[in-house]
Amino acid sequence: MKNTLIRVACLIVMVVSFIAFLAKAPAFPIASENLLPWSVWFTISVIVNMVLWYPVMKLVTFSLGVIWFYAFIAALVPDTSTATGPVTELDWSDPDAVVEIGAAIFNTKGQCAACHTIDTSAPPGRCPDLTDIGVNAASRVQSMDAKAYLIESLYDPGKFLVPGYGKIMPEVWKKPIELTKLEIAAVVAFLQSQGGEIDPEPFDEPIDRANIDTIAEALPPLLTGDPDAGRKVFIDQACVSCHVVEGVENPKAGEAIEDFEVVTAPELTEIAAFNEARYLEESILKPHAQIVSGYGTAKIKANGTTYEGTIVSQDNEKIVIKTKAADGTEEEHTILFSDFDEEPVDEEDIVNLKAEGFFTLTIIPKDSDTPISGEIVDESTDTVTLKVGDETKTISKTALKVMMTLTIFDVGETVGEYVSGSMDEGEIVLMVDGNEEIFDTFDVEEAVKAVGSGKKLLIKSPMPDNFPDTLTVKQMADLIAFLSTLTGTTTDETSTDDVGQSETIDSSEQVPE
Amino acid sequence: MRCCSSRTFKRIYFILAVMLLGFVLFAVIPAFAQDVTDQEYRPFPMIGSRNAAWIAAQLHLLFGSFILGVPMFAVIIEFIGWKTKDERYDRMAHEFIKLCMGAFSTTALLGGVLVFILIWCYPKVMSKLSGIFGPTMIFYVVLFFGETFTLYLYYYGWDKMRGRFKWIHLVLGVLLNLWGTAIMFVSNTWLTYQTSPATQFKKLSDETKEAWIESVLSQNPEMTRAEVLEGVTANSVIPLHNEAGDFLANVWEAVNNFTWMPVNIHRLIGNIAFGGSIVAAYAAFRFLVAKNEEDKSHYDWMGYNGNFIALCGLIPLPFAGYWLGREIYMFNNTMGINMMGSLFSWLFIIQAVMIGVLFIGANYYLWAGMGRIEGAEIYARYRPYMIAIIVICVAVWMTPRTLSKISTASELSAMGGANHPHLGFFGLMTAKNTAVNIIILTTFLSFLFYRRSGKTPTASWKGLGNIIISVIFFLGVVSIVVIGIVGFAVPTDTRVNVLTPWQVLVALGVMVVVTILDIFLYRKATTSGTIKWGLMTERSQYVLILLAITFTSLMGLMGYARSGLREGWHIFGVQRDTSVDAFTPSLSNAVNMVAIIMVIFFALVGFIFWLGLWGEKKKQPEVPVEAAVEIED
Repeated sequence: MKNTLIRVACLIVMVVSFIAFLAKAPAFPIASENLLPWSVWFTISVIVNMVLWYPVMKLVTFSLGVIWFYAFIAALVPDTSTATGPVTELDWSDPDAVVEIGAAIFNTKGQCAACHTIDTSAPPGRCPDLTDIGVNAASRVQSMDAKAYLIESLYDPGKFLVPGYGKIMPEVWKKPIELTKLEIAAVVAFLQSQGGEIDPEPFDEPIDRANIDTIAEALPPLLTGDPDAGRKVFIDQACVSCHVVEGVENPKAGEAIEDFEVVTAPELTEIAAFNEARYLEESILKPHAQIVSGYGTAKIKANGTTYEGTIVSQDNEKIVIKTKAADGTEEEHTILFSDFDEEPVDEEDIVNLKAEGFFTLTIIPKDSDTPISGEIVDESTDTVTLKVGDETKTISKTALKVMMTLTIFDVGETVGEYVSGSMDEGEIVLMVDGNEEIFDTFDVEEAVKAVGSGKKLLIKSPMPDNFPDTLTVKQMADLIAFLSTLTGTTTDETSTDDVGQSETIDSSEQVPE
Repeated sequence: MRCCSSRTFKRIYFILAVMLLGFVLFAVIPAFAQDVTDQEYRPFPMIGSRNAAWIAAQLHLLFGSFILGVPMFAVIIEFIGWKTKDERYDRMAHEFIKLCMGAFSTTALLGGVLVFILIWCYPKVMSKLSGIFGPTMIFYVVLFFGETFTLYLYYYGWDKMRGRFKWIHLVLGVLLNLWGTAIMFVSNTWLTYQTSPATQFKKLSDETKEAWIESVLSQNPEMTRAEVLEGVTANSVIPLHNEAGDFLANVWEAVNNFTWMPVNIHRLIGNIAFGGSIVAAYAAFRFLVAKNEEDKSHYDWMGYNGNFIALCGLIPLPFAGYWLGREIYMFNNTMGINMMGSLFSWLFIIQAVMIGVLFIGANYYLWAGMGRIEGAEIYARYRPYMIAIIVICVAVWMTPRTLSKISTASELSAMGGANHPHLGFFGLMTAKNTAVNIIILTTFLSFLFYRRSGKTPTASWKGLGNIIISVIFFLGVVSIVVIGIVGFAVPTDTRVNVLTPWQVLVALGVMVVVTILDIFLYRKATTSGTIKWGLMTERSQYVLILLAITFTSLMGLMGYARSGLREGWHIFGVQRDTSVDAFTPSLSNAVNMVAIIMVIFFALVGFIFWLGLWGEKKKQPEVPVEAAVEIED
């Protein structure tokens, strides 16, 4: 009788705790501060039932135990759900709430977290890590602030690609993700909150949702040209010397070309399969605007050595450059950004630091004696914003101390704040350690004036700068028409898998992530 | 007695059917009282529409899987019995089909319930689907009638068609499987279409190509035809709807969507594994409650065969799953990433736990089974190593890609990142694929030992044969490991399209070649021992039940993944889910729902088995307690 009572009681406990566990009921209190989870009740009852019951009930117990075990394991792993309510309005008076909505969309409906991480310690994802994107976004594209950049990235993600990453992000306002304007605004706020400040100002969508395939662009219509004539331009203008197109022979193969060096350039056989005509047009008019990964050239000074060659790859910490010696031998060098040499920033460079390739800057404001050193995150004509440690500082470009480095015969280098004079004037006056010192230029080997120093990386396309000038308008239209026919379909069938992998267009932005 | 029990059986079943229908009507009637004008959704009372549809669909699928899987091996077993003139096989096949008969009505009933729920709760979705797939639904009904009548003929004609008409009976069995497979293929079209309503350009008819081009042109008046076709290759993914959601293609193109055939194959194999495991669980249950040695030996033998069938299905199942996953990636890269690397990534860790349980359980059962074979002791020394290999491989398979979601900041800091410094690389697919292939080969080795137990080969080349087999195993494992290591260094594309298929081919190749060699090696083997059926431990029978529950849970979990991949869409990218359930539930909620479904399923299965027991004639097989080893192969 006693056994039967225990059996029945344990059976009831088992069933109740099983249901309570699945229903996520609060733990059952056996004392005010001591809660026993349902999983423990269940385990105890299963053990007792397995010992005391008859075979059939043992089987039932065992079966329930196995079913529960899997539910228990599932309860241990991180919970992920795409449950987000419809966003009908955003309360900008409570930015934290907007950020929370944005975070939820980022992780769920927007599917952003499928590829992006916000964790520098996480392994690299398929797309860039977005830690501090609220600040870094401002430095990605010149003349574009953080919010404008984020908005563009969400509506037209292929327009600017972070170096090293492919063109894989879908336009989130289109099907199947189909974020609404409010949802995108919340995601932008969430991204701005990653190290930056939230801008609650409403923005205009750069799209026409009624006609969803139209992206508002202020560009003139494309010219129409003749592909056959364009093919001739492609050969005559020596494009074919560097770019391979299947089926187009280079009549001067092996010959030296005047005016420019023959280099290995991207194959264009399928260029139109993955790129719009706008991209082709831009590549001709502004060869440096976007550079295909592995094809840009750069001159880097690091550890006292100058490297000049082709960029093979780069990530957040380092860059790999391939140099070519005079005898033709090639060598790859991996250079850490931290090993880059500081180069002087003169009064011309300071006007447009990014265009000159600077990504860090050390300067001394006029009202201070302490140098400020940090990563350039934003820049305007008059100011520059640096990331110094965890903070950002915006400094006027016009209120900087001008420093001069003098190389004096038999003495070495002397650095001081420039006061007056020049090599032509016979003497130079500097403030050194708070004292004004006059240097006779007769003793000075070299005088370098700078408003600061910084590390620079300027990636350029090997295409000749004057290339657009060598073409007439008609030739350019014909060339674009010819390139637009290069889809690769006439020679080979490309699988959908290949499509995703074949062409990685990188930007010429030099600021490392 | 037989007639009487049959009548009782039917009567009880009729009552059950009425009760279930009554419940559905009871549940639905209050909702009918609401406004029934042109609504997109109607709420299912109490538990909500999604949960109602989920429970009905999953139960229907589980029963369907059982009744489609069991006839596949039942007819093979019957054929073996006919050819070997061994009555035991014929009787076992008959018993399998008897279980099917009980489950058949429940499957149909649950199918009806599901349709009611879908039509009532999701009228517009059903309208959309029936608008596209109307002809297939008529075809489905025809097939269903064919299946029903063939099953009746097959079951009730069993005794009548013995002797010279046995071949006709076997033809009926084959026909039954054809009907069943066709039914599954047809119903798979609807659900796979919901996930991947697109196909490749090369599979489109000229009319559909034209319709698609026209739809793009109407959306983009500034484009030319040439521009539309720019970059389109034979393998390009072409949606079968325009932007407004209008269907552009024909029925066959909708049927032949991206995931249809992979799901068909995956389910076909899965049905065999599932059916085998449920049969084995039934046998285990009967073994545990058996009152005499005769029953025990019969159900031990039946359990062994059920488990063997389940294993035969389980081994190729990961390969079919891999194909399905690859097709999902090809259809929509983001969906693939969501499946394996984001939203559902932890689901696959739980899947790894379950599959680990399946493989460890199946191996344990084989090893336990060797205990009843005289002369099998010589293989016992290999067990610790095999256990170690399987456990290590399962551990690799269960390694998460990153630990960022389950680690504290200090733990992450100590690890130096979200990946464990030494074990983190096991979280990558190339390591997992390597592990699963080695598990499969180890399981195959267990089976090989089981098969050899109690036998002594007489072939003159037995020494050489064993060396060749050992070398093949060794080279196979080394190749799989080397391919796995190379997988770390190559782009994903190469790994997915080249290396992983090679790993699969190596594993399959080893199994095929070794099986052929082993058959020849042991063709005229002498028997040094007998199998003592019925001498299995009770623990081993619990393992069979564990395997059945794990299979069932796994099916439920994967059903959640397949459906959940659509996220906020009824038809991905075409018809948005605007109901209150327009989101993918969390993993723990989903597994809890699967657990509830498991309880209902096993309660129903238990009831059906009990009904079978209730009306059973007290006559049990004349299976000898000791049987020659050759018979069971």
